[in-house]
Amino acid sequence: MKIYTGSGDRGKTSLFSGERVSKGDLRIEAYGDVDELNAMLGALAATTPPEAPELGGEIRRIQSDLFHLGAWLATTPDSPSAGMLKKLSEDAARLLEVDIDRMENGLPALTGFILPAGHRAAAWAHVARTICRRAERRVVVLTERENHAEPLSAVLVYLNRLSDYLFVLSRHINRIAGVEDILWNP
Amino acid sequence: MTFPDKGSFDPSRYKTAVLQRRQLSPGTVQLDMVRPQGFEFTAGQKIRLYRGDVSRDYSLASAPAAPLLSICLRIVAKGVLSPMLGAAKKNDSFSFTGPHGYFVFHPSNRHAVFVATGTGIAPFASMCRSGVSGVTLLHGVRDLKQRYYAELFYQSAKQYVACLGSRKSPGQGTYPGRVTDFLAEKLPPGDYDFYLCGRREMIRDATLIIDDRFSGARIFTEIFY
Repeated sequence: MKIYTGSGDRGKTSLFSGERVSKGDLRIEAYGDVDELNAMLGALAATTPPEAPELGGEIRRIQSDLFHLGAWLATTPDSPSAGMLKKLSEDAARLLEVDIDRMENGLPALTGFILPAGHRAAAWAHVARTICRRAERRVVVLTERENHAEPLSAVLVYLNRLSDYLFVLSRHINRIAGVEDILWNP
Repeated sequence: MTFPDKGSFDPSRYKTAVLQRRQLSPGTVQLDMVRPQGFEFTAGQKIRLYRGDVSRDYSLASAPAAPLLSICLRIVAKGVLSPMLGAAKKNDSFSFTGPHGYFVFHPSNRHAVFVATGTGIAPFASMCRSGVSGVTLLHGVRDLKQRYYAELFYQSAKQYVACLGSRKSPGQGTYPGRVTDFLAEKLPPGDYDFYLCGRREMIRDATLIIDDRFSGARIFTEIFY
């Protein structure tokens, strides 16, 4: 099965809601960032330490969430196509909070900024966090441009929480791997 | 035009059996199958038929409210599944998952243009059987025998054109060229929603023509591999 059609060879693509837009459109940038984040999570999942087998399933759940986020970003709000998408519930962000709380319970309190470093998987988690923040910034601008708070507000909540999750995850992985946080020494 | 979240994200597996096989043209058949209890879909969606580990997607041509499921398939001589399906007898059983896909009709104030090649007409038959009407329908066919479901489309479409790939002299309701030629040369300027279903070459060519001629149009596609 060939995956290419060639219909995007001139720099345009179709949104899920049918509109033809430039591949440089802000909406495409936004779901492109989410796609990049998802790929980075795949790399992260491939390097998590064996002492934390639960992380694989956790990250796969997040990757699935990101597909839903991408679908919302690829759809013009209020279009009929939006009615076909799975609703973004607050439960997904709440699950991240549960994960954050669980990991934080085992971590020493932070006394300053830490360098994004440590175990390989922790380093990937930091990279993923920065991509997540970029995606979040892009969605903020998209929301402002299109004056559509809904349904992208749920996307923003999720990305904000996911960034926090990834920060805590990097420290959690370092702790499990026996790598100490490196405090920033200004 | 919504379907349950479960529909495409977690499709269920069903059992079905052949009720009858109808020859639509040389090499193309319609299979009517038992509609399993609990199976719901939206016109334009497809099912994934299985034989062992091999599966193929087929758009449903029947209406969502119909008591049976119909698919329209071209028998590919070296195909993995279609020769077996094309030779299926009454009561032969299969499993399938579904519904799959998002190729459904979106009512809007734009004029809808349906463009199909070959058996890509199936989802449009389902849509028209579910009440969609007033559309322009372009069907790319090799000869007049391939005008599947023509009576349905004569009744429900505002304009139904069988586009003959060759430059044969056309009869009434036919066009001597490809569907893409019609889009490039005949379809008047306007605000359209295009629905394209067929081989990827047609999808590509039609999309590029639409980009050039119908700025602001919406395009929904279903590719037959």
